Amino acid sequence: MSIDWTRYDATRAWDELVTPDGAARPGADSVMRVLAGLSSEELAERKAAADVAIRAMGITFTVYSEDEGGGPAQIDREWPFDIVPRLVLKHEWDEVARGLKQRVKALNAFIDDIYHDQRAIRDGLVPADHILKSREFRQECIGIDPPHGVWSHVCGTDLVRDEQGRFLVLEDNLRVPSGVSYMLENRAVMKRVFPELFEDYIIHPVDDYPLALAACLRSLAPRQGTAPVVAVLTPGIYNSAYFEHAYLAQTMAAELVEGSDLFVGDDDCVYMQTIAGAQRVDVIYRRIDDLFIDPEAFREDSILGVSGLMRAWRAGNVALANAPGCGVADDKVIYSYVPDMIRYYLAEEPLLANVPTYRCVEKQHRDFVLDNLDTLVVKPANESGGYGLLMGPMATHAECNAFARSIRANPRNYVAQPMISLSTAPTLTETRVEARHLDLRPFILSGRDTYVTTGGLTRVAMKKGSMVVNSSQGGGSKDTWVVEVEPSAGQASSAAGAGGRKEAGSSAGGATS
Amino acid sequence: MRAVSDAPGPATPAGQALAAGGRRDILSRVAERVYWLGRYIERVESTARLVTVTSNLLMDLPLRLPLGWRPLIDITGSGPLFDSLFDEANEHNVCRFLISDTRNPGSIIRSIEGVRENARTVRETMPRVTFEYVNDLHHFARSELAPGTSRRRRREALDGVGSRVHQFEGFLSRNMLHDAHWTFLRLGNQLERADMTTRTIDVGSANLLTGHDLEAFHEAQWRSVLISLYAMQSYHAAVGQPVSRAPVLEFLLRAGHLPRSYARCLAQMRSSVRDLPRNRRPMRNCNSAIVALANADVTGLEGPTLRAFMDDCQKHLGRIHDSVAETWFHFQPKPNPKDGKLAS
Repeated sequence: MSIDWTRYDATRAWDELVTPDGAARPGADSVMRVLAGLSSEELAERKAAADVAIRAMGITFTVYSEDEGGGPAQIDREWPFDIVPRLVLKHEWDEVARGLKQRVKALNAFIDDIYHDQRAIRDGLVPADHILKSREFRQECIGIDPPHGVWSHVCGTDLVRDEQGRFLVLEDNLRVPSGVSYMLENRAVMKRVFPELFEDYIIHPVDDYPLALAACLRSLAPRQGTAPVVAVLTPGIYNSAYFEHAYLAQTMAAELVEGSDLFVGDDDCVYMQTIAGAQRVDVIYRRIDDLFIDPEAFREDSILGVSGLMRAWRAGNVALANAPGCGVADDKVIYSYVPDMIRYYLAEEPLLANVPTYRCVEKQHRDFVLDNLDTLVVKPANESGGYGLLMGPMATHAECNAFARSIRANPRNYVAQPMISLSTAPTLTETRVEARHLDLRPFILSGRDTYVTTGGLTRVAMKKGSMVVNSSQGGGSKDTWVVEVEPSAGQASSAAGAGGRKEAGSSAGGATS
Repeated sequence: MRAVSDAPGPATPAGQALAAGGRRDILSRVAERVYWLGRYIERVESTARLVTVTSNLLMDLPLRLPLGWRPLIDITGSGPLFDSLFDEANEHNVCRFLISDTRNPGSIIRSIEGVRENARTVRETMPRVTFEYVNDLHHFARSELAPGTSRRRRREALDGVGSRVHQFEGFLSRNMLHDAHWTFLRLGNQLERADMTTRTIDVGSANLLTGHDLEAFHEAQWRSVLISLYAMQSYHAAVGQPVSRAPVLEFLLRAGHLPRSYARCLAQMRSSVRDLPRNRRPMRNCNSAIVALANADVTGLEGPTLRAFMDDCQKHLGRIHDSVAETWFHFQPKPNPKDGKLAS
């Protein structure tokens, strides 16, 4: 049996393709029509073709588990991919991209301020304790001037859409965000599997990212007048994101190095060991947590890093992206201050809203959170990968009690947010298409110039009703299309975007079908 | 990327690098992995060939001829390991050991894993599509190289491995930059190939049993050596003499136009080494291997003198490998603070 859109339920949240009454949203009609025109055998064939392409292209990610003997083991899994694309309209995306640039600019200004004058503290924007006692604050970075005043050169911001279809920022990943290679590969797989869909659309390409990243990194090079040597520093083949490290090095024509390939000379410059001898390195895109990059400065037991790297960086002889210490702004408590930062540093109103956030460290907020645990999502301030969350509405009484104890014991470590019903999109299950929740991670590059990916990585919770989209926890992904629609449809849907009214979206869908 | 030499030439670093045939400053770690990638690729192909050819050969020979599966174990230099795992060198055991046994580090399946692991760690240095070929080879091997399959299915599986290896190599050869990465890949290929040729001659000659020294057996023996190296047809075309010891040895060791001859492999290794920086020691070792071959009375080698000569060849190859590793893979460079450039 092929896809029957009349049986698709788009009423549980904002759906990216279908209105609550079952019509196509602007731009979605071709995708829905093509999918509905396929028999179930053909659909299964396409799905299998995607799996084969992913396998053949070696698109993998590593999950950590136990081997048969109970020891640690790594499994290389093929990347989970759903063949139904997620659509974002171009003019909507342009708005979002402007908001992202604004946000990252303010965040970089904040980090630079924290490691210099700390005006934000003196002027009472953020309490001193939140920063100086943060696990991610690095004393060693005080007074350092990275090029262009930028600390977080590659930022991955997680966006969600609420019930009205409004884009909200869920978190900013400023340290070593990953996923961009999957965004690029998803497009490549989609072109193989559904070439005919590309005929009906003006889809903006995503593959300029590696060039933009290379340009961004080169703009940080300390030496003038020579072609900079750029290296991607990876923890190695067993890291879960190794595929991406290799992918980016390859597409940027940069060196892919491990810590053991590099050393710092007596001149405080960084060199890599080549067959021709030592070769100076100008820019390092490090994909290692900053506590591991230099055993001399941070964790002595790190075998991933390079002794003396911080010394070389402080001396201005090498650029590090992202800069050590930038994690001070990658914290869910600090996140709640970003709208204030935008007003403070840029004197602008935020273009993108945060999800409302309660800081457990503040008594009033904490009391509210403790009284309403069963309706809130509680997050540790400093974890990533979707670990350590409490999803209040789904949690047991015992789990809520355990979290209440943790919050009282260490309030600084927790924030809480209302449960946002993430938007959904049609996703192929064994037998049909069903709505699944998803988010979106665009990547923002900051160097001499700023760049935002066209769309980003859409992650989708493959389990019915689940809001956990992380690939380490069974999430999948979709190709994300930023599309142009015909003027009439575009106008109609911009009304939907501005007013956030579902009716507007549905009538527009009717107009284009 | 910038060139590292100060030699006069094109004015810009990029121009110098282009004129010099691409980058000469690849990472030592990457060079080592590409070199091993080259060795493993060659090993997969030659082991698959060895098994296929032997199967064919045995079908042609009268029963109870003292040719069997054992020489394959000796050619691959894995006698002690094999004997610790199996009681008898019969078809089933030898094929399992050489093809699918993960306990044998020289088995095809393990070599393919070696190809994949090394390719994975250097995937950023190769055309992107090549990794698909590597993956395909790996998936194919995992599903098709099962122990205990029939001769026919084994033949098909090994042919499948062979054609996938050729596809991979062919694609690289046509599309990969012929820079230092390529040079190391080829160096690994050639060294492994020279190693296999010399081992095959060594074992083939040693199996000439006394008491069976009829001319017919000798001929069969040398024929099997030629066939094992896929050189039978080439021999007829190039030499035009009946198969016998002296012309076969001359051909396999010295023919400049036979891709698998020892001389040809040495010449190619030398030319690879010549393209690399800081090549004094490996160059010297290549030269002395070439001189030793040139000075040898190849057609006069027989029995013990042949074995001794093949041993010598193995030692030369060992020295070339060691000097390659010491020169380019394992050394501690120190920067020169004066010019901030390079030193070794």
